[in-house]
Amino acid sequence: MKVQGSAFIRQNKPLLLKLRDRLLDEFEYASILATDSKSRNYTASRRNVAVGGDTSRGYVVRAALNGKYAEFSFNALSEENLEDIVSQVKQLAEASDKVLPAGLGENVYEITPAEETHFVGSTDFEVDPEALGDAAILDRLNEIKEKGLSLSDAILDFTARLNWQKYSKLFLSKEKDMEQNVMWITGAFSAAAAKGHGIKNYGKSFSKLGGAELLDEMGKEEDMQHVVNVVLELLDSIPMVPGEYECVCDPATTGMIVHEAFGHGVEMDMFVKKRALAQEYIGQYVASPLVTMHDGACSADQTATYFFDDEGTMAHDTIIIDKGILKTGISDYQSARILGTEPTGNGRRESFRRKAYTRMTNTWFEGGTDSVEDMIASIKYGFLLESPSSGMEDPKNWGIQCMVSMAREIKDGKLTGRILSPCVLTGYVPDLLKSASAMSPNVVLSGTGMCGKGWKEWVKVSDGGPYMKAKIRLG
Amino acid sequence: MLTKIKAALEKMGIENYQIEENRGESLECFFIRRNLDLKRRTDTEDYTVTVYKTLEKDGKKLLGSSTAHVHPGMDSAEIEQALGDANFAASLAGNAYYELYQGQKHEHVPSTSAIAAHPLEECMKIMADAVFAEDTRDDVFINSSEIFVRKNTKHIISSTGTDVSFETCDVMGEYVVQCITPQNVETCRQFNYREPDGEALRKDIQETMTMTQARAQAKGACPSGQYPVIISGSNVATLMRYYVMRSDASMIYQKFSSFAVGDNVQGEDIQGDPLTVVLKAKEPFSNEGIPMEDRVLIENGVLKTLHGATRFARYLGIEPTGSYRSVEVPVGSTPMDQLRSGKYLHVITFSDFNMNPLTGYFGGEIRLGFLCDGETVTPITGGSISGSMIELQKNMTFSEERYRGADYEGPFAVKIENVNVAGA
Repeated sequence: MKVQGSAFIRQNKPLLLKLRDRLLDEFEYASILATDSKSRNYTASRRNVAVGGDTSRGYVVRAALNGKYAEFSFNALSEENLEDIVSQVKQLAEASDKVLPAGLGENVYEITPAEETHFVGSTDFEVDPEALGDAAILDRLNEIKEKGLSLSDAILDFTARLNWQKYSKLFLSKEKDMEQNVMWITGAFSAAAAKGHGIKNYGKSFSKLGGAELLDEMGKEEDMQHVVNVVLELLDSIPMVPGEYECVCDPATTGMIVHEAFGHGVEMDMFVKKRALAQEYIGQYVASPLVTMHDGACSADQTATYFFDDEGTMAHDTIIIDKGILKTGISDYQSARILGTEPTGNGRRESFRRKAYTRMTNTWFEGGTDSVEDMIASIKYGFLLESPSSGMEDPKNWGIQCMVSMAREIKDGKLTGRILSPCVLTGYVPDLLKSASAMSPNVVLSGTGMCGKGWKEWVKVSDGGPYMKAKIRLG
Repeated sequence: MLTKIKAALEKMGIENYQIEENRGESLECFFIRRNLDLKRRTDTEDYTVTVYKTLEKDGKKLLGSSTAHVHPGMDSAEIEQALGDANFAASLAGNAYYELYQGQKHEHVPSTSAIAAHPLEECMKIMADAVFAEDTRDDVFINSSEIFVRKNTKHIISSTGTDVSFETCDVMGEYVVQCITPQNVETCRQFNYREPDGEALRKDIQETMTMTQARAQAKGACPSGQYPVIISGSNVATLMRYYVMRSDASMIYQKFSSFAVGDNVQGEDIQGDPLTVVLKAKEPFSNEGIPMEDRVLIENGVLKTLHGATRFARYLGIEPTGSYRSVEVPVGSTPMDQLRSGKYLHVITFSDFNMNPLTGYFGGEIRLGFLCDGETVTPITGGSISGSMIELQKNMTFSEERYRGADYEGPFAVKIENVNVAGA
């Protein structure tokens, strides 16, 4: 089934077209992005049950006067305040002298006509979570929670969560009239256990572009048992001895390396500011020939899939690294204009309230031909890294900071059963990627996380890849 | 809109509720080098309605709650639909019963910030002047910057008597300082002030430029091992999150923390400075309309109070205090020169310094540090530190120099013994 369009946007479209035309009377460029999103989140744990949600409706106008851009975000629109909105955008466009320090300039862009585009698209789902209803969803989560709690008396809690979002966006400019309707869903269960003052937790997450059919994937008892077993194992984990080790990364850890270590460094708004080292390495080997990296809203069906970005550029599947050679970055519309490149459909906003930046979407490494068993067997002493928790970008210097919850010790080609936790991955990105010596065939993407630009601007992303063997500095 | 929402609540027979109205405006400027790239303005209003429902299951009294969001332009039918959905969801989300916060009507509390009394453009100009005041050199300069000037008015009313409103204003943003020689490096910094404090921002940028020049000299990581590590600035605030989170009623109720009033939460055998932490009220009312006040959280290592929103406070039988995110820590008695004596690693900046309040582990990758072998100080970069607050908190020494951030005021630095460093 297809996600239905927004009645709110449909009802307001005539007014938005009128606003666009009025703006085009005053400005050489004008576009409007209208958004209507609805999300629901559910939690079931031993001592807490929650059902919540959010809706977000609003508009952002982008306009250019004499090649200089201004934006106005608002959420009240009517026939009565339409002229006021036009007036506010004009005042803002003419306000540069009031805010600019002496001696500073303002960027001037050449306004060129865009290609005529009329588009309507919707993503697919099997089970509509809205139709399924809050009660049925909570029942399923309660079943998971109860099953999890029944698996061990030693755990403190077992929590099941589900979160879905359905959104519609309308992009209007002189040449474009585009509408998309998208739904993604994520779920997770996790166990917590205590030893002394320390609490350990471990979980398994699920995500897809689609609907409540995800609940079927979450109901496997063996997955819950695995989560409970691991959290109890983590209680006896020991600190990491700092050093460089041969490691096997699970797909989630590979994904975090793809996203944090490399992905942020090829966001081309960073090229515009000369903040990304990657800019100097286009056409060069930055990784092992085993590494081919994609990003794109249409490169995979996951939680960051869409048809067009928040600037009205159609989604791409960009090959960033091809067999170890850095081919290109990803970009929003404005950055591409400055750099003289094609925009790649990566201009994304946290919401209608925020600016568009170059952002990742679904970002992943292609698989290879090696088995996980062979990778482990090839390691004299090292670790299997699992369950990444956070990471931070360093586009300027290609430093790595990623945290993983656990490292399983490998000795003489076998897992010893010892777990070290937590671990900080550090190092120099090309060193790590050039050391990649094996990739498993299966690629797994996870879209449960959000991505910030620095410390803000959170957007939904997915990342992943295969199991990957590489040399990594751990602390 | 408030009238429409109240009418819908009454029509639907919803007796227990809280409405939070937020009206906000901002002016935002985005600079690339010394050019303004984009000007933005926002003007929004939103309403969040929390619906409460008393329930009974297996003879036990429960209270369920859920929220609905109401936006300008919603007609009465849409509002009723949203509130009806929330009311139904509340009937499914029954948790242990608790008495809702019984609030009062208070006079509107206007912001005392100069931002409230001046056009946003004037405040923007002050901050933009500050960003570029020190940008006078070719080798170290402002690469890019973002400045947001914001005004917000929050109005909270509830079915149990709360009727409070207050205004908040701030300027926030980030800037990137780049130094191109002898190595090409950068430092990205955030700022947040409640006043258009151009002088504070200018001073911060001066210090960041000095620090970035030092990073441009740094070569490689230090050898792996255990070091006395000095952590400074906003990273000290990150460490303090361990105590704030662990004393939160929600963490204790869910058994994710075993903190209790009277506990020696810094451990039984304090070898360094005993810790005192004060929770700071940065807004006049909490999100439930509870009047906020400063509270002593920890005194000389002993937990003095717990804190939290109504639900979890009621479960623990304590006074609802609202949720805190800001702390003040008294400065120590050791000057920085003395902290920096002997062998030490002073980490100036991390790529991202993390503290996990559940596990007590902290860590981060080093962007710039100064390693002293007892005689020579060397700038280093790369590698990481990690440790457990539970194990290391007994041996912390605080500087007598003070640091003031948006949500932390206290010692500029803390020295922690025996921290693991993963280096070269």
